[in-house]
Amino acid sequence: MKKGFKFYIALWGAKFGTMLLKLFRRNATFFPGKFALKVCPDFIGKIEKPRTIIAVTGTNGKTTVCNMIEDILKDNNYVFIDNKYGSNIDAGITTTLISGANLMGKAKKDLAVLEVDERSAPKVYPYLTPTYLVCTNLFRDSLMRNAHTEFISGILTKYIPKETTLILNGDDLIASNIAPENKRIYFGIDRLQTDSEKCENIARDIIACPKCNTKLVYDYVRYNHIGKAHCPKCDFKSPEIDYLATNIDLKNMKLTLKNGSLEEEYDLISDNIINIYNIVTVITVLKQIGLSQKQINESLKKQKIVDTRYSEEGVNGIKIITHLAKGMNPIACSRVFDYVRKYKGNKVVILFLDDLHEAANGSENIAWQYDTDYEFLNNDSIKQIIIAGARYLDGYVRLQMAGIDKAKISCQRDEMSALDNIKLDGIETVFILHDLYSMELKESAKKKVEVMIRTKIENKA
Amino acid sequence: MKIEILFPEFCNLFGDMYNMKYLKMCIPDAEFIETALEEEPAFVKEDVNLIYLGPMTENTQEKVIARLLPYKERILELIEKNVVFLFTGNAIEVLGKYIENEDGSKIDGLGIFDVYAKRDMFHRHNSYLIGTYEDIEVIGFKSQFTMMYGDNSKTPFIEVEKGIGINKDSKIEGIKKNNFIGTYLIGPLLILNPLFTKKILEMLGVNNEVALKEDTMSAYEARIRELRKL
Repeated sequence: MKKGFKFYIALWGAKFGTMLLKLFRRNATFFPGKFALKVCPDFIGKIEKPRTIIAVTGTNGKTTVCNMIEDILKDNNYVFIDNKYGSNIDAGITTTLISGANLMGKAKKDLAVLEVDERSAPKVYPYLTPTYLVCTNLFRDSLMRNAHTEFISGILTKYIPKETTLILNGDDLIASNIAPENKRIYFGIDRLQTDSEKCENIARDIIACPKCNTKLVYDYVRYNHIGKAHCPKCDFKSPEIDYLATNIDLKNMKLTLKNGSLEEEYDLISDNIINIYNIVTVITVLKQIGLSQKQINESLKKQKIVDTRYSEEGVNGIKIITHLAKGMNPIACSRVFDYVRKYKGNKVVILFLDDLHEAANGSENIAWQYDTDYEFLNNDSIKQIIIAGARYLDGYVRLQMAGIDKAKISCQRDEMSALDNIKLDGIETVFILHDLYSMELKESAKKKVEVMIRTKIENKA
Repeated sequence: MKIEILFPEFCNLFGDMYNMKYLKMCIPDAEFIETALEEEPAFVKEDVNLIYLGPMTENTQEKVIARLLPYKERILELIEKNVVFLFTGNAIEVLGKYIENEDGSKIDGLGIFDVYAKRDMFHRHNSYLIGTYEDIEVIGFKSQFTMMYGDNSKTPFIEVEKGIGINKDSKIEGIKKNNFIGTYLIGPLLILNPLFTKKILEMLGVNNEVALKEDTMSAYEARIRELRKL
């Protein structure tokens, strides 16, 4: 694509802007790209891009997958550009490409790892052809932005370039069917003991066959629409998996990855099924670009799931676990609720799930709460649920709709005051589940709970 | 008491199915029939008291129209017989004259109501609504790719105080004809609106109180105060 005058103005202006922003210690991960796109709308198409581009999209897990791919590549001395600290929409991706190019718009590196928001597909893929495009999964997400999975899978199918090789979650009947004409590689996890024949979740985005409308037969369900299924009437079914994780051994934290006749062992760095999927995704991508089992596993062992998403701390024999549970994202929240109910021992669960941006605007559409499995919190091991924030009254109703005894629920508007109601007797773990925009609140709450535990122990002594 | 939920395997978006779960809590002895798209609806051959259809994807709308078209006369008959219908989200579009795509192509609906919808898949409309239905206030959420056009002033559901009606220039939301109620409002409409749920119970001839009355009322009153401030 011919560059032209506008392109260079956009490039140089963005580079100058980046310099200025950095000089004033401001974040330069979005506005340079926004400026460049304003001046030259097809800028992404004109700038030279790295020879190999790994793009990661999907409803859940794309940030974790990108972070892990980047950390393992770095550990193996690969040089690449990425949007780790930037936005995953067109402006953030443009900023990353600008930072990875010289003043003539030539790519300085051969490899890029880019997280791409699903809804940005129409603004990104007409101009950028990923070598590999990973789709972690497709679930119902923020209904106000993403509507429903058919809309998202539709725009992905429409805009993904035909030359791109797809790396898809074969256990997800929606993600595995995007862009059906593209070359594709499937990853998945073999049947687990915890899989069942009946789905416990509220949200299931593919219950019936999209080809003939007949109800699908699930050989097993893992969660929501993740599992293995076939249509009893036509040929619609889950695909054959190319990279299949088997022998998930949570005791020794190992898994085996089968690819054809090859079987390799890898370390697990998390026992959470979501993170196991993330690990399998990462290994599949890295194998595809030529890393060996040894290279991947040695680096994988050093990885930690970033503690903005998960943290665990022991205070006088009581664990405090903070876990991101993205509000407005029913599946992400449901997975966390499932993890909490299955976590051993008696617990208190604190819910800070309001969207603070929406709250600041005066209200919040809480329809997502009714696609979320609050029912999982109706569990004998959960002794108390504290719900606080702007939507505390809605949350109180939702928890009761889930059949949870009123006596177990403590609800209050003010988040920090609500913590005063925690009952720690017989409790082994306090879970603080928080939204993406509630990091400060989470930290303050964690500190307060720590103090409460210490005070309780001192008073006992 | 028979309540028929149409095509729940497809028409189950935005948490709307909890409207039926809540109704079940309000009328514990009611029989709930879930009819799959491949099955003949129960209302065709037997009397049901309420027919529910929730929001669906755009492709599903076409499947639902094809499924319901043979029963158009029966649906008209049931509306005349004061059977209660609750159609939420874009379900109401199925009964309009047509749905128009961005490229001008049209999908014919059942033509029961003299309205039509226009899709704009590049712009999703999100808003809150507060308005009046009979002597009560109704609140709710909208999240949609379509707007509806046509005259619904003779069959209004909600007079809008804040938010939009069937389109951005309208202050009349939804359609109410006899006991048919169709509204673009999505999500846990009945849970958010205990007073409106009570009206539905009355339409069904049930004297029960709504479930979780005290707590749903507290949330409802708080939301009204909140929306008024916007």
